[in-house]
Amino acid sequence: MTGPTSTTLSVHDWKRTVVPLGVFAVLAFAVPVALSGNRYLAFVAGITLIHILWASGMNLLYGYTGLMPLMFAGIAGISAYFAVDLTSSGWSFWIALPLGALMASVAGTILGLPSLRLKGFYFTLCSLVIQTVITLGFVYFAGLTNGDTGISQIPLPTAPGGGTISPAVFDLILATAAVIGVVVLIAITRSSLGKRLVAIREDDELAEMLGINVTRYKMTAFFIGSLFAGVGGALYAPYIGFISPRSFDVLISMNIWLMVAFGGRGTIWGPVVGAVILVPLSFLLQEYYTVKDVIYGLLIIAVIVLMPGGIASGLKRTARPIEAAAPGMAERRGAK
Amino acid sequence: MSNANWILFLSTLSTGLILGSIFSLVAAGVTIVYGSIWMPNAANGQFFLLAALFGWTLTVSWGIHPAIAAILVIGISVPLSYALEILLIRRFYDVPNRNISYFVLSLGITQILAGIFSLTYGQWSDQFQLPPLVSGITFIGPFPIANNRLAVLGLAVAILAGLFLLLRYHRYGRALRAVFQNRDAAALRGVNVKASYSLSFALGNAVIFAGGILFALAYSFDLTVAWTMAITAFAIMIIGGPGSVLGALVVGMVFGFTQAIVSVVASPTIAAFSYLGAMLVILLFKPSGLFAK
Amino acid sequence: MKTYLKTLAVTATSGAMMLATAGIGSAQEKPPVKIGFVTELTGPWSFFGTSCVAGLKFGEEQINPPGSRKIEFVIADNQTSPAQSVAASRSLDVQDKVLALSGPTSSDTGLAVYGYAEQNKVPFVVPVAAFPQLTKPGSRYTFRLEPNAAGWGYAIAKFVEKQKPGGKIALIYSDYALMRAITAGLKYQAPLSKLNIVADIAFPQGSNDATVQAAQVLAAQPDYVVVIGAGGFDNTITNQLLDIGIKPQQLIHPFGITTQVMNWGKRSVGSYYGTFFDSNLDTLTPEGKTFVKDFTAKYGRPPSYGENFCFVTAHVIREALDKNPEAADDREKFRDAMSKLKTKETTSDIPIEFDKNGARKEYIYFMQMTDVADKSYKAKQAFYAEWDPEVIPVYTLVK
Repeated sequence: MTGPTSTTLSVHDWKRTVVPLGVFAVLAFAVPVALSGNRYLAFVAGITLIHILWASGMNLLYGYTGLMPLMFAGIAGISAYFAVDLTSSGWSFWIALPLGALMASVAGTILGLPSLRLKGFYFTLCSLVIQTVITLGFVYFAGLTNGDTGISQIPLPTAPGGGTISPAVFDLILATAAVIGVVVLIAITRSSLGKRLVAIREDDELAEMLGINVTRYKMTAFFIGSLFAGVGGALYAPYIGFISPRSFDVLISMNIWLMVAFGGRGTIWGPVVGAVILVPLSFLLQEYYTVKDVIYGLLIIAVIVLMPGGIASGLKRTARPIEAAAPGMAERRGAK
Repeated sequence: MSNANWILFLSTLSTGLILGSIFSLVAAGVTIVYGSIWMPNAANGQFFLLAALFGWTLTVSWGIHPAIAAILVIGISVPLSYALEILLIRRFYDVPNRNISYFVLSLGITQILAGIFSLTYGQWSDQFQLPPLVSGITFIGPFPIANNRLAVLGLAVAILAGLFLLLRYHRYGRALRAVFQNRDAAALRGVNVKASYSLSFALGNAVIFAGGILFALAYSFDLTVAWTMAITAFAIMIIGGPGSVLGALVVGMVFGFTQAIVSVVASPTIAAFSYLGAMLVILLFKPSGLFAK
Repeated sequence: MKTYLKTLAVTATSGAMMLATAGIGSAQEKPPVKIGFVTELTGPWSFFGTSCVAGLKFGEEQINPPGSRKIEFVIADNQTSPAQSVAASRSLDVQDKVLALSGPTSSDTGLAVYGYAEQNKVPFVVPVAAFPQLTKPGSRYTFRLEPNAAGWGYAIAKFVEKQKPGGKIALIYSDYALMRAITAGLKYQAPLSKLNIVADIAFPQGSNDATVQAAQVLAAQPDYVVVIGAGGFDNTITNQLLDIGIKPQQLIHPFGITTQVMNWGKRSVGSYYGTFFDSNLDTLTPEGKTFVKDFTAKYGRPPSYGENFCFVTAHVIREALDKNPEAADDREKFRDAMSKLKTKETTSDIPIEFDKNGARKEYIYFMQMTDVADKSYKAKQAFYAEWDPEVIPVYTLVK
């Protein structure tokens, strides 16, 4: 997490960061290819990849900056609707995607402003309400979003030079996005930006006193985190083929956040594991629809009771004394 | 003022009062639990719905009189709360940063309850209605109001008043408030902190159940009310100040009235946007909430 | 359980017979035809999906007599989520290799499956879901049994026109896709029918109390009030309108399913509701009456139009395959078979025929409630209208 600041990689680094990254990248591309014969399982893999991207964005905000933005799905939705509106007006998807993501980032940064005044959980509750407003807005401004009806038959994009992209190829695009997302997150956490964010998470008043411009860094975190949300949203729309206000509502935000909390916040791979477990679960439990929700709920409760730090912390065998004490102390201060 | 305007005015008043008091009850319940044990209960909507559905079973399926059903529903919340507290809640009392763990826990509980409802009540009907407490219509001037609505309103206000008096004057209430404010100081003064935790969890849930059964008596409902009520309750709690029951009461009433008034002056949709917007504005000026200590 | 055992018995018997004939060496054993049924078994719409499956099961029992090629419905839950609907459709298409898809009762899940079906050339028979865009021009694989929602609004205007020429209508509804479609149709036709809309009140999703709006409606002095709420709120609006002094005879609900009608209760006797099938219809066929009787015996309430459409879907598919046996294994042929099908609803003899977009010639009944008892209700037919789906520009009125 907070490794050495030098640019050369130590053996330690190699084991902790590069090897898992390599494994992840290989899996991210290999799994869709292996499953490409079965479009259903490949679809589940694709949705998981989008959620890995989203969980990484949420991780940046929640795991590393200590802010829990439950309007994350709404921000993804802003990007999705914007990109879909552009592509249906004739713009190329490959231009609409960055524009949509940018739109989402700007929106996300503005919506993140309350975090400057609200501490900890107050901001969370505020974000819950912001998400509600966004969903209400999606329904109400039907001129832009087609309201509650949603937008259907969203096609997969064509390749930049012309020519169709098959679903299997789009899966690889999703894999690319997920891998890039994780790499960006790793890069941030190892950079000075990352360490400033962690300092803000631990104690933002102290950070301010130490000369860190808390406002600037929080807003940067929101901007980048919202980029993750936006890219995921723009990719989600053509993949499912249908979006509606309920595709980006509070329950989706909570699910993404849950992947981070469940997987282990403040670790790179915890949220990835969280996404990989929770996303396919909801699809594969479809057969057992009568008990699916109960199983999901019990799983969440079991993990939080047995492994309060999430799965990643539960699996960590080597305790790191300094890190263990400091977060604990600062967390107690930041608890209310 | 013409008859039509009187009717409009009185209906706005009655809507504001009844919505406001039910909102206040639920928000008070949520804020009591958050203020005392730092548990933001995302499952509060499902508890609200559970009370309503259970009331339906008692009255419609088992034929019990609504007034008795209401008492039974609120009563059953106590053992349920204690069971939940013993099984899950008390494990986290000394955990730092437990509000996050509690939030996750409450999300798990929400899933389980939602799943159970979907499998049971969700198969039996798409909407639920309880028989009225009292039937008939009373006229206040030209304005007809259902006696049932008056009864629910009376009960809601009575419960709110009782809650307020309990917390302000009774010694259990004072102990709870001491713990809200500073648990270590309260412990030093001889308050049994752990017991007051259990008590406040039970009290908070009982109040939410009260809100739920009263809502079910006043309105028809379906399974979707759980989340809309949960968000409203959280919004009221934030503006009123987490842990402040007075804040929940006042802000809840204001919410109810704002919805009623704005829906007349503009439209129901603008009303929904307006109080959410007002919340954001207030938070920018007083982030800790209006009545925070 | 009884149904399951019955189905098992029928299957076992037909299986045994097929084996017997195979043993003699004549009939070739063909695997059952699979139809994927993606519907809402959990989530906000679970009641409608489950009711639909209940109706479907009655139909499934009847359409597999011994000796005929078996039709099997593979049921999948879509959790009332468009994403899950697409996933379930994909699973049924790719893994189960179903001949066709069917099932959604909600417009958004319906549209999600529609997108998948049209894109992947899978025939899609929609039993319940009124959203107009499900049969928008260019649709090739989709066939919808329920009339579209904009047409519904048109029919309400026609009904009021007959009841009270030049009448005044108040509209009060929840902001959902279905409601918007119905009100769009109504607002289109109202001026053409020389009716005045004196109030137009929309509630956002999640509203609870309509007393104030009821007062506004009363002040507008309408002849009729069209109430289109969502879920429990519909009943709240109805009760609050009655409380404030609107008479039951002034109330029109575009749709009345059994649970709603029972909840409206005795207070609402005299009010009108629209439907496509009702246990009180005079025009029920013997099969229709049996369906009502058996359903009521099993589920404690009479079936509504949702259950009816799902029941009829099973029969329609059976008929399409009986008339075109080679369509049982070929999606394109099945699509053509559905497209040229001319038949009637088993339960009420109303004609079924699909136009080039998969929509059928539409119709509606308006019933007036005459009594509500503990587990049943009585209503009489007050109006019937039939129209071609293209009579109003449904596909441009509502996007």
